[in-house]
Amino acid sequence: MSRFLINRVLGMAVVLFLVCLFTFVVFFVLSPDPAVQICGKNCTPEAIDQIRANLGLDQPFWTQFWTFLSGLFAGRTYGTGANAIECAAPCLGYSFQTSQPVTDMIVQRLPVSATVAIGAAVLWLLAGVSAGLVSAVREGRFADRFVTGLTLTGMSIPNYVLALSLQFLLVVTLGWLPFPQAVPFADDPVRWFLNFLMPWIVLAIGAAAVYTRLTRANVIDTLQENYVRTARAKGLRPDLVWRRHALRPALTPIVTIFGMDFANLLGGALITETVFGLNGIGKLAADSITKNDQPVIMGVTLLAAFLVVVGNMVVDLTYTAIDPRVRVGSAK
Amino acid sequence: MTDTPEPLLRARDLVKEFAIPGGGPLSRARRFRAVDDVSLEVRTGETLALVGESGSGKSTTARLIARLIDITSGSIEFAGREVHALTGRALHAYRSEVQVVFQDPYSSLNPRHSVERIVTAPLVYQRRRVPGGARAFTKELMERVGLDPDHSARFPSQFSGGQAQRIGIARALAVSPKLIIADEAVSALDVSVQAQVINLLRRLQDEEGFSYLFIAHDLAVVRQIATRVAVMNGGRIVETGDRDQVFEEPRDDYTKKLLSAIPRIRPEWDAARRRNERARRDRERQEAVES
Amino acid sequence: MTTTAPETGADPTLLRVRDLTVGFTTAQGPVDVVENLDFDLERGGALGIVGESGSGKSMTSLAIMGLLPKGARRSGSIEFAGTELTGLPERGMRAVRGDRIGMIFQDPLSSLNPYYTVGTQIAEAYRSHRKGVTRRQARTVAIEAMERVHIRDAARRVDHYPHQFSGGMRQRVMIAMTLSMEPELIIADEPTTALDVTVQAQILDLLAEIRAETGAGLILITHDLAVVSEVTDHIVVLRDGDLVEAGPVERIFTDPQEEYTRMLLDAVPRIDDEIGLLRTTSAAEEGR
Repeated sequence: MSRFLINRVLGMAVVLFLVCLFTFVVFFVLSPDPAVQICGKNCTPEAIDQIRANLGLDQPFWTQFWTFLSGLFAGRTYGTGANAIECAAPCLGYSFQTSQPVTDMIVQRLPVSATVAIGAAVLWLLAGVSAGLVSAVREGRFADRFVTGLTLTGMSIPNYVLALSLQFLLVVTLGWLPFPQAVPFADDPVRWFLNFLMPWIVLAIGAAAVYTRLTRANVIDTLQENYVRTARAKGLRPDLVWRRHALRPALTPIVTIFGMDFANLLGGALITETVFGLNGIGKLAADSITKNDQPVIMGVTLLAAFLVVVGNMVVDLTYTAIDPRVRVGSAK
Repeated sequence: MTDTPEPLLRARDLVKEFAIPGGGPLSRARRFRAVDDVSLEVRTGETLALVGESGSGKSTTARLIARLIDITSGSIEFAGREVHALTGRALHAYRSEVQVVFQDPYSSLNPRHSVERIVTAPLVYQRRRVPGGARAFTKELMERVGLDPDHSARFPSQFSGGQAQRIGIARALAVSPKLIIADEAVSALDVSVQAQVINLLRRLQDEEGFSYLFIAHDLAVVRQIATRVAVMNGGRIVETGDRDQVFEEPRDDYTKKLLSAIPRIRPEWDAARRRNERARRDRERQEAVES
Repeated sequence: MTTTAPETGADPTLLRVRDLTVGFTTAQGPVDVVENLDFDLERGGALGIVGESGSGKSMTSLAIMGLLPKGARRSGSIEFAGTELTGLPERGMRAVRGDRIGMIFQDPLSSLNPYYTVGTQIAEAYRSHRKGVTRRQARTVAIEAMERVHIRDAARRVDHYPHQFSGGMRQRVMIAMTLSMEPELIIADEPTTALDVTVQAQILDLLAEIRAETGAGLILITHDLAVVSEVTDHIVVLRDGDLVEAGPVERIFTDPQEEYTRMLLDAVPRIDDEIGLLRTTSAAEEGR
């Protein structure tokens, strides 16, 4: 078990290293000279050289990469002498636009994205699994066909269309919801909730449709399993047959996929956050892309990669915990 | 049966190891030895049966010989040539000299191809001419394996299990092989169908003089078809011998255990049944004469 | 479940099946997979139901258990220890299932739930039929049942999962599960088909031992005539859902009355008989 864990962590480290290397190459080596950007319009070659030296851009590639990596783990210092700026441990550099530390920008926005992600996840999990169950139980009947129709619709509507039309309908036309506006939870919980409601729904609908189909297929497959027949042959009550022998095996794969999807969403919902003006990671990413703010783009990318890799590992560990075939090897 | 001093196929000290999946950068890959030092010979025109229980390595051995998987070590000689050294044209030639018939006919026949396409495929892949044209060639083959030649345009799913297995046999025959590897070829069939396919396999061998490497777990089936028997257990051959020797005077303990475990219909019941059958037939003849 | 059967001692018949028909409605119209089947099983008797694929032998067993797949029609009479099962509501049938009629299936790995320990799965049947049984008591019952089917180290193995057992041991677990309820009838549907021959011999011995020990009736469903000849005392031969022939096992094997039975017997390869051309449905398939 511990061997398994060590193997996984090492594997994760390798993947993260490669992600770092890749993003570094894309953003710092292949993109236009950042020094020119920072320097602005009235710029002298001397100023550019100065900025280069400060950012370490005059160093060879591997030295730059090494400085960047060690900045992530131990922090780094920009410039020398009196001009030196200390960038603390998970150092992702400074925004070209606002000169804020990228790490701080991300940390500030993380709670918003987390709120969006958690709310949406709860919503789609509840809606998807229960609709899937209904569909499976009533296989081939009206309820099943109705749900299937809904999921097809849910899956085919693009997020931004849904976001815009929902906002138009609920806020502008019907006026059921106030115009989205950031309000701290402590100030006005109701307003806070209403504010997040639309993004939650928008993000949940597509995923809920996928989860419905998944749940339906898994449950129907599981009901065909021989061990379900065994459970019935034992004379178990139908609710026990369902709960123990159909649901647990059917829902296990969903737990694992959920982990991945959630990690993905935690890294920011670009379109939804932008449409609803939520100041989360997604919006940060969108803004930094339009302004070509390379350190921020890179920071957000690394965060997303990190979340996916960690999510993957959590999923693996969860699977190990809930599936005995993985947990305990066959003891012969 | 031609008695050549040199066997058609000779496998020496075959070893096949598989890496056990799992592990990671830290753990050394563990290996599992599925075939462990197996040596065997198949002579021209004979049937060597390779028998064993699940996990004995018999199917892996068959796959090694068919060159479906590569050997870890050892050597396989076919008609005097080293099989794992074959490449290109020579390998093509080997593929038509050695054919495999698998256990499940439906999964080993492409469901979207007609019998004609399935049966002529080995020739087409090897860019060989189909003698007499595809249609006539297929019909002739179907006739030989006891299928209705008019069904050459049908698809595998339109045939019963036994018939589908005959298509598999026809496909093997298409390239006039010298050795047919039958990997549990009759195991999935109902007993009456199984009997027919066994009879067919025997008849074809009598007609064409090729050899079989007959892989099976059912000793009673093996006894109907084998010239010689090799018993495998745990990746090794524990006993090889002529059929009657292995069945009547098994030397190895595992072979003895295997033979004694087989459920059997009491011989005295069979004898009584034959007596009753004879009496019944006599009676019927009597009645026919009288009327 | 208490449909009182005071004269159980008087009636030697444990199971009486009359006119059993099982059908499905397919796109081509209604199809009967079992037709007008009649047979009896005496208390403590062993009946073999033999047939090739499509003979309806498995459907017969599922019909007795009331576990036919969705959309199946069942008619006729199945009288078990004086109780008519066909008329029983689902609740009453549930009390019979597992408790009074136990069932063993072909593939023990897929028949056991991979997510629960074998102990849990044995105990679960026991707890659902016996009111007020504690977890601990049920576990003890599970261990005892595992010991009775000769699983060594049962007290430790009870906490293992199905995948940690070999094929033969898994089938022993299935048998232990059935056995823990002390059923009056055990239906074994191809219980050894997925197993190696040496393991098959052990499982067949175990079934015989249990029968001798508990006096339970046995219905053995199989395609293997040799197995039936060793284990059962009566057999029913089925073909395409129809009963071909039924009778004491020795009579069927020594003096079969039907051509199909004779053909089946001739088609079985023997380990100790002369080797000739195996007789088959003659022209029927050898030609086509």
